[in-house]
Amino acid sequence: QKALDETPQGVISGAELNTPENIDKMVIAAYSGLGNDDIHTSFSLWPWGSMRSGDAYKGGDSPGDNTDWHSYELFSANRPELGNTDKMWYFLYVGISRANDALRRINQIDESTYPLKKERQAEVRFIRGHFYFMLKILYKYMPYIDENLPEKEYATVSNRTLTNDELWNKIGDDFNFGVANLPVSQDQVGRVTKQAAMAYLAKVRLYQAYVQDEQNNVTSVSSVRLEEVISLVDQVSASGRYELNPDYANNFLTQFDNNKESVFAVQFSKDDGTPKGRLNMGVALNYPMNKEFGCCGFHLPSQNLVNSFKTDNTGLPQFTTFNNSDAKEGDDFKNNTFDPRLDHTVAIPGHPYKYSLNFVYQKSWARAPQIYGYFSTLKETVAPDDPSFQKIPPFMSSSKNFDVLRYDDLILWKAEALIKLNRHNEALPLINSIRQRAINSTSKLKLADGTFFSNYKMDVYKPGTNCNWTPEFAWQALVWERRLEFAMEGNRFFDLVRWGIASEYLNKYFKEESSKRTYLKEAQFKKNRDEYLPIPLAQLNYSRDVYKQNFGW
Amino acid sequence: QQKTLTGTVSDKDLRVPISGVTVKSSRQTVVTGQDGKFSISTAVNETITLSYIGMKPVSIVVGAENEISVSMEYDAGNLNQVVVTGYSTQKKADLTGAVSVIKTEQIKDVPLGNPIKALQGRIPGVYITTDGSPGGGATVRIRGIGTLGNNNPLYVIDGIPTERGLNEINQADIESMQVLKDASSASIYGSRAANGVIIVTTKKGKLGTTKIDFNSSISTQSYVTKVSVLNAEERGRAYWQAAVNDGPGNDPNINPIYKYNWNGDFNNPILNNIIYPEFIDAAKTMRPADTRWFDEISQTSFIKSNDLTISNGSEKGSSLFSVSHYDNSGIIRGSSLKRTTIRSNSDYKMFNDRLVIGENLSGTYSVGTSVPAGSIVDLSLLAQPIVPVHTIDGGWGGPAAGMTDRHNPVRLIEDNMQNKSRFFRVFGNAYASLKIIPELTLRSSIGIDYSGNYDRTLRKSYVSGFLVDPSNQVTTSQSYSGNWVLQNTLDFRKTIGSHDLQVQVGSEQIKFTAQNFYGSRQGYALENIDYAYLDAGSTLKDNGGSGSGNSLLSFFGKANYSFKNRYLASFTMRRDGSSKFGSENRYAYFPAFSLGWRLSEEEFIKDLIPALSDFKLRYGWGKNGNQSIANNAIYDLYSAIYGTDNTFNRDKGSAYDINGGNSGQLPSGFTKTQRGNSALKWETTVQSNFGVDFGFFNQKLSGSVDYFIKNTTDILLTPPSLAVIGEGGDPTVNGASMNNKGLEFMINYDGKIGDDFNFSLSANLSTYRNKITELPENSLTAFPGNGNDKVILGRSVGSYYGYVADGLFQNQAEVDAHATQNGKGIGRIRYKDVNGDGVVNGSDRDYIGISDPDFTYGLNVTANYKKFDVSFLLQGVKGVMVNNGSKIYTDFSSIWPGTNWGSRTLDAWTPQNTGSSIPALTLVNRNDESRFSTYFLEPGSYLRLRNAQIGYDISSLANKIHIKRARFYLQGSNLLTIKNKKYTGPDPEAPGSTFPIPAIYTLGLNITL
Repeated sequence: QKALDETPQGVISGAELNTPENIDKMVIAAYSGLGNDDIHTSFSLWPWGSMRSGDAYKGGDSPGDNTDWHSYELFSANRPELGNTDKMWYFLYVGISRANDALRRINQIDESTYPLKKERQAEVRFIRGHFYFMLKILYKYMPYIDENLPEKEYATVSNRTLTNDELWNKIGDDFNFGVANLPVSQDQVGRVTKQAAMAYLAKVRLYQAYVQDEQNNVTSVSSVRLEEVISLVDQVSASGRYELNPDYANNFLTQFDNNKESVFAVQFSKDDGTPKGRLNMGVALNYPMNKEFGCCGFHLPSQNLVNSFKTDNTGLPQFTTFNNSDAKEGDDFKNNTFDPRLDHTVAIPGHPYKYSLNFVYQKSWARAPQIYGYFSTLKETVAPDDPSFQKIPPFMSSSKNFDVLRYDDLILWKAEALIKLNRHNEALPLINSIRQRAINSTSKLKLADGTFFSNYKMDVYKPGTNCNWTPEFAWQALVWERRLEFAMEGNRFFDLVRWGIASEYLNKYFKEESSKRTYLKEAQFKKNRDEYLPIPLAQLNYSRDVYKQNFGW
Repeated sequence: QQKTLTGTVSDKDLRVPISGVTVKSSRQTVVTGQDGKFSISTAVNETITLSYIGMKPVSIVVGAENEISVSMEYDAGNLNQVVVTGYSTQKKADLTGAVSVIKTEQIKDVPLGNPIKALQGRIPGVYITTDGSPGGGATVRIRGIGTLGNNNPLYVIDGIPTERGLNEINQADIESMQVLKDASSASIYGSRAANGVIIVTTKKGKLGTTKIDFNSSISTQSYVTKVSVLNAEERGRAYWQAAVNDGPGNDPNINPIYKYNWNGDFNNPILNNIIYPEFIDAAKTMRPADTRWFDEISQTSFIKSNDLTISNGSEKGSSLFSVSHYDNSGIIRGSSLKRTTIRSNSDYKMFNDRLVIGENLSGTYSVGTSVPAGSIVDLSLLAQPIVPVHTIDGGWGGPAAGMTDRHNPVRLIEDNMQNKSRFFRVFGNAYASLKIIPELTLRSSIGIDYSGNYDRTLRKSYVSGFLVDPSNQVTTSQSYSGNWVLQNTLDFRKTIGSHDLQVQVGSEQIKFTAQNFYGSRQGYALENIDYAYLDAGSTLKDNGGSGSGNSLLSFFGKANYSFKNRYLASFTMRRDGSSKFGSENRYAYFPAFSLGWRLSEEEFIKDLIPALSDFKLRYGWGKNGNQSIANNAIYDLYSAIYGTDNTFNRDKGSAYDINGGNSGQLPSGFTKTQRGNSALKWETTVQSNFGVDFGFFNQKLSGSVDYFIKNTTDILLTPPSLAVIGEGGDPTVNGASMNNKGLEFMINYDGKIGDDFNFSLSANLSTYRNKITELPENSLTAFPGNGNDKVILGRSVGSYYGYVADGLFQNQAEVDAHATQNGKGIGRIRYKDVNGDGVVNGSDRDYIGISDPDFTYGLNVTANYKKFDVSFLLQGVKGVMVNNGSKIYTDFSSIWPGTNWGSRTLDAWTPQNTGSSIPALTLVNRNDESRFSTYFLEPGSYLRLRNAQIGYDISSLANKIHIKRARFYLQGSNLLTIKNKKYTGPDPEAPGSTFPIPAIYTLGLNITL
C-alpha cells in the first residue's frame, strides 16, 4: 500500500487554513473575487445593463463577434443555452462561494484569538450581498446559499425556495449586518464601511420597493421601502464623508480613484506581481481600433443615446423631440446644444479622446462603422498615456477603479423615492445638484483655442421659469437624469425593469433605431419574459429540475 | 559417422547468399557468414535444420556429400513468425487474440518523422489522423472511441510501457511492430491497455554477422491544399455586392478602405470602378497591395533523413549502434524540426547462454521552431489582400480601419522564427535473464523513460497596422517528466508430448514524476535571440512552476496452453494498483482468457480442403482498466494562487489591492482548486473478440476477420456541476458507459509470375459503431444535445447537433410561406422548422450527423521484378461527416465582415444566379447563419494515394566496391486525393486549423556494407 501513497504537490488542505492569519487571507480572497470577472462577463454589467437598454450597441467586428451578446442585444434571439448566461451565473457564485468559505472559517474561530471577527464577518457578508444583488437583477430567482448550509445539501436548494421578496430580504440581511458591525472608516481604503453597507441596503430597498408579480409586472410600489431608502441615504449623507466631485470627469479618471464621491469601488491594480495585472478585464474589449489601442471596439453608444444629450434652448433635455434628428458628426455638434456629459460619455469623431487634446478620435478608429456607426465609449477607458493603462495583447485595460456605489447615484435614489412618495418638490434640489455639477464640468472639454468640444447649453430645472415641476414632470426629469448621469455604466436596463417600462421603451427604441442600424430589425423585447435572463439551461439540467425556469422562458 | 559438412545458403528468389542463417545439428549450432557459407560438425543420416526469421525453415538429411547448397524461400504466411505479445513471445500460429503485425519492411522508407504515421491505412481497426507538421503529429485510435477522456493507446517499446508516441523512435531501429487490439491480448498490460497496445521491438545484432546499414533520403514537400481566397479587387467587389444587396440605407461607401464609383441604383446596381485610397491607414504607411497570404507564409521545403546502423552478433552476445538525423523544414515558413537519435542495444551471454545481461538505450534530442503554424494558416485566410506585408518604410503591414483585429501571419512567422524548443528523451532498459533450469527463466528489467523541454522564447515588440505592442518579453521554461519501470517475471515453458505449456508470473512497478518552471522578464534593449536571456531583461520579472506524480504497482500471471498445436488456450490475470485512487479502490483485477482452435491441423479438414494451410477460430474476452485522470483527483485542495493570466480567462487568483495603492505586492489568500472524490475507482473496459484466421495454398492467400464488442463502464469524467458549488467545483466521477462494436477484415495475397515477378496485395477494411449507453444526468449538457429531450444517450459520442439548413429562399413567396425565422429573406438560408411549431428557434436543433466514418480501408500493393521493386498504398475513409468550419469565412461576407473571404463568395446567390447554394452576400448577418447547421457539415470521404514507391537494386554494381547491397528508390506521399464533390474545403483529412498535409517526393538510398 505504501508504494502507492503520493503526497499532492504544491497544494494545501482546507483544514490547514483555520488559523487567524490564514482566515484573514481568506477574507482577502473573498475581496479578490470582486475583480475576477473576464472579458465576456463584466461585473460592471455593461453587456446586460447598458447594451440592452437602448444606450449602447454591442460593437465589435459584426453581430457574429461574441454572438451571445448579439443575442442579448436583440432579445428575440436570446436563448436559455447561451454560454455567457451560464458563465456569468457561475462567476457570480464563485464570488459567493469564496465569501461562504471565509465565513465558515471566521464563524468557528473565537473572538479572543481573532478580535476582528465581527467586522470581518460583516465585510465578507457585504461581498456576498453584492454578488447576490447582481444575480437578483440579472436572473430574478436564484438559489440562496449561505455559509451554514453543508456543501452536500447545495443541490437541494431551489431557486424558488425563497420568494422574490424573501430573496431581497436575504440580500438586505447581509448589508444590515454590515450597517450594525462595520466601522465608519477603514484604514485600508479597499475595505467596505458602514456607509457603504447603508448605501447598498438603500439600493436593495429601492429595487425591492417596486413589487413585481410572477410575470415581472410592477404591481405596486412600497412606500415603507421608499422611506427606508430616504432614511439610509440621509444617514450616509449625515456621515459627512461624501460629496459630489467638482468635475464629473473625476469619476472616470484613475488619479481620482477612491475620491469622496466613491462609496464602494472595486480596486484594480497593475505591476502588482500577478501575471498581467489585476486589471478591469470586464471592459477590456471596449477600446477603439487605433495604433494606441487596437482592440476591440465593443460597447458603442447608440445614436439614440447621443441624441438624448441634446438640450433645448433653455438648456433642458428634449424629452419628446430629442430623436427627431441625429447628431452624427462634425457640425452636428456645433449646430445643436448639448449636455456636457455627452463628451464625458461618448467618443465622437473629431473630438479629443478621453480629454487628451492631442489625441483626437478618428472615424478610422471605428471597427465596423457600416454596422454600428462611428461612436465609441469613454467612461470605462483611459488614455494610452495614463499611468493606469496596461496592454495585455490582444487586449488592454487599466487599473482604474470601478465604482459600484457612487454618491450621485445615492442622491438620485433619494430623489426617485421622494417623487414616488409624492414629495417631488423635495427631489428638485437633489436633481438640480446633479445637473449643476454637470454644468460645471466643462473645464476638461475645452480645446486649445478656448472653444469646447461641442456646443454646451445646460441649465437646472427652474419651476415657473423653464419648466412646470409637476409630479409627472419630476418623474420624467428623474428618468432622464439617471439616463444621462449613468449612461454607459451598466445600470440603465435594470432601471427600466425596476420602473416596469422596459418593454414599451425598448420596442419603441428598436423601431426607431433599426432604420439607422439595420441589424436591429429583428430586435424585439418580449414583455413578461425579457425583463430577466433565463435561468441557464445547464444549471436547470445539473439541478435535475430542482431549479425552475423563469416565467416566459 | 561424424563428418564436417560445408554449405552455402542462398535466397531462392533473389539468388543471393543469406548470412545469419542458423544451422543446427545435434552437435553444433553455427550461423552462415557473409558469403552465406557455413561449416558444421554432423553425421550421416542426421537431420540438420536451417532457420532464418521470415524464411521457411529447411530440414536436410545429411548424406554422403561434404558440400551442399541450400536455397531458402520467403515464408508467405509467416505462421512461424515470433510475435511479442506482452512480457513474452508467441508463435503467430498460436495467437488467439486480435493481434496485427506490421510489415516493417513496407514502412521503412516512408519519411514522415513518426513511424506511427506510416501505419495509416495498413491495419484494420487502427484509425490514424495526422497533420503535416515537421514533428509528425498523429492521433491513433484503436477500435473507435473507447472512453471520454484519454483515448491514446499504450505503447510498449522493448518491454517498457510508455504513453508518449513513437515520434522519437528512429524508424530504422524498428525490428517489429504489433498492435494488440482486443482485451484478451492487451489485458496483460492491465491498466492503460484499454485503448489497445502498440508493441515495438528494436533491432539487435544478428548472430554471426557484422553489418553496416546506411539509409539516406531527401524529400521535397509542397503545400497543395491552399484555400482559394479573394484578391484585393475581388474583395472590394464582393463588399460592394454585399452592401448593394442590403438595399437602400446601406451606402457601400461607408467603408474605410474601398470607395466605389457606381450608379447608385439599388434596383439595378452597376459598379463602374473601384477607387483605391493612396494609403489604407491614417498614418500613410500602407499602400494598397494585392497580397497572396498563403503564398507568403508557405514554401516548398525539404526533409533530409539519414541513418546509420552498425551491428554484430556472436555466440557471446550482440551489439547494435545506430544514429539517425532527421531534418524537416515544414511547408509553413519558419516551421522546422531537427532530430538526432542515438541507440545502443547490446546483450552478453554467459554460462553457456544461461545468463543474458543486456540493455536497450536510446537518446533523442530535437530542436524545433515555435511557429504557431495552425493559426498562421487561419490568419492567411483572414488577412485582407489589400494589406501589404510590409509598410513603405519596411515595418509590418497589419489590419487597418474596418478590418478584424488579427495579426499579419508573416509577422508571426518572422517574429517567432528565432524561438526554439529543445527536447530530449532518454528511453531504455537494462535487463538480466537467468535460465534456472531449461524450462524456467527469471527475468528482471529496470526501465527509464524521461523527457524534457527547454524553451527560450523572445516575444518581440511590434507595430502592425493598428495592432501595437511596444513591450518585449523573454520566457525561459524548463520541464521534465518521466518514470522508471521495474519489472520481474518468471517464465516456465514445457512441452510434454502434445501438450505445450507456458506459464508466467510477474510484477511491475512504475513511478511517474513531472516538474516544470518558467521565468520571464520584459524590457529588453535588443530583440536578438543571442541577447534574449533572462539576465538581460529589466522589468516585470515573473516566474512559476509546479509538480506532480503518480505510481502504479501491478502483479500479473499468464498461462498459454496448446494441445497438438490445434487447441489453444490462454489465461491472464492482472492486479493493478494506482495512486490516483483512494485506498479502498486502489486495486482492481483485470482478467482475460482466449481460446483458439486450429481447424486446419485436424486431419478431416486437411483431407477435405487440401489447399487450406491455416484455419483458426479465435475467441477472446478480457477486462482492461483506465486511470487517466488528474493525479490528485481524490483530494480536496486549496492553492496559494496569487494571480493567473486574465487575458482570456477569469483571474483565479486571490490577491486584492485592499490598500488602494494601484500597484506593488498585494495581500492574497487561497483559492479552492479541487473538490475531491475519494470514491473514485478504475474505469473498466470489457471486450469480446471473435476472430477467424485463414490461409490457403501454403499461405499464399491469407487473411483474418475480427468482430468485437467493447463495453466501457465507470468512465472517468469531470462533468460540469452546479455552479452554486463555486470554483474547484467539478469533481471527477465514475460516470458514463459506452459501447463500441466493430468488424475488421484483412486479406493478403502473395503471388508469383514466372521466376522474376513477385507481388503481394494486401487489403483491409474496418468499421465501428459507437454508442453512449449511460450518462449521469448532470453531464448531459457536456455533450451535443439540448440536455432535455434530445440527449446523446444511445448515440455516438461523435454526434453533431444543430439546425437543418434547407436551401436558400428563392423569392418572397417562399420567404412568406416559411415559419417565423428571425432575419429570413430572399437569398438567405432557410432553416427547417423541425418540430413544426411555426417558429424556427433553438428547439428546432436536432442530431444532424456523426463524425464516425462508415468504414476505413486500405490497399497496399508491392511487387518486384528482377531488380525493380514497386509499391503503393491507397488509403481511404468512407462516410464521414466533417464540420467544415472555415465555411464561415469562405462562404459568407457577413459573419466576419472584417476579414478576407473565400473565392466561393463570387458565386453567391443573386437574383441572376439562383442556382447557387451559397447565400446572398450581405454585410449584416441578420439571419444568424453562423449557427451550427447542416450547411457546415460536409461529406469528408476521401481516397488518397498515400504512398507510391519505385526502387532499383544496384547491388551487383555495388558489389564491386565491397558494398553488399545497395538500392535506390523514388517515393511520393499524398500524391493524389479523390474527395467527395460536396466537400468544399481543400483537404477533408485536415478540416480544421491544423498544419496542412503536404505532398512529398523523396529520393532515397539504402546501402548495406
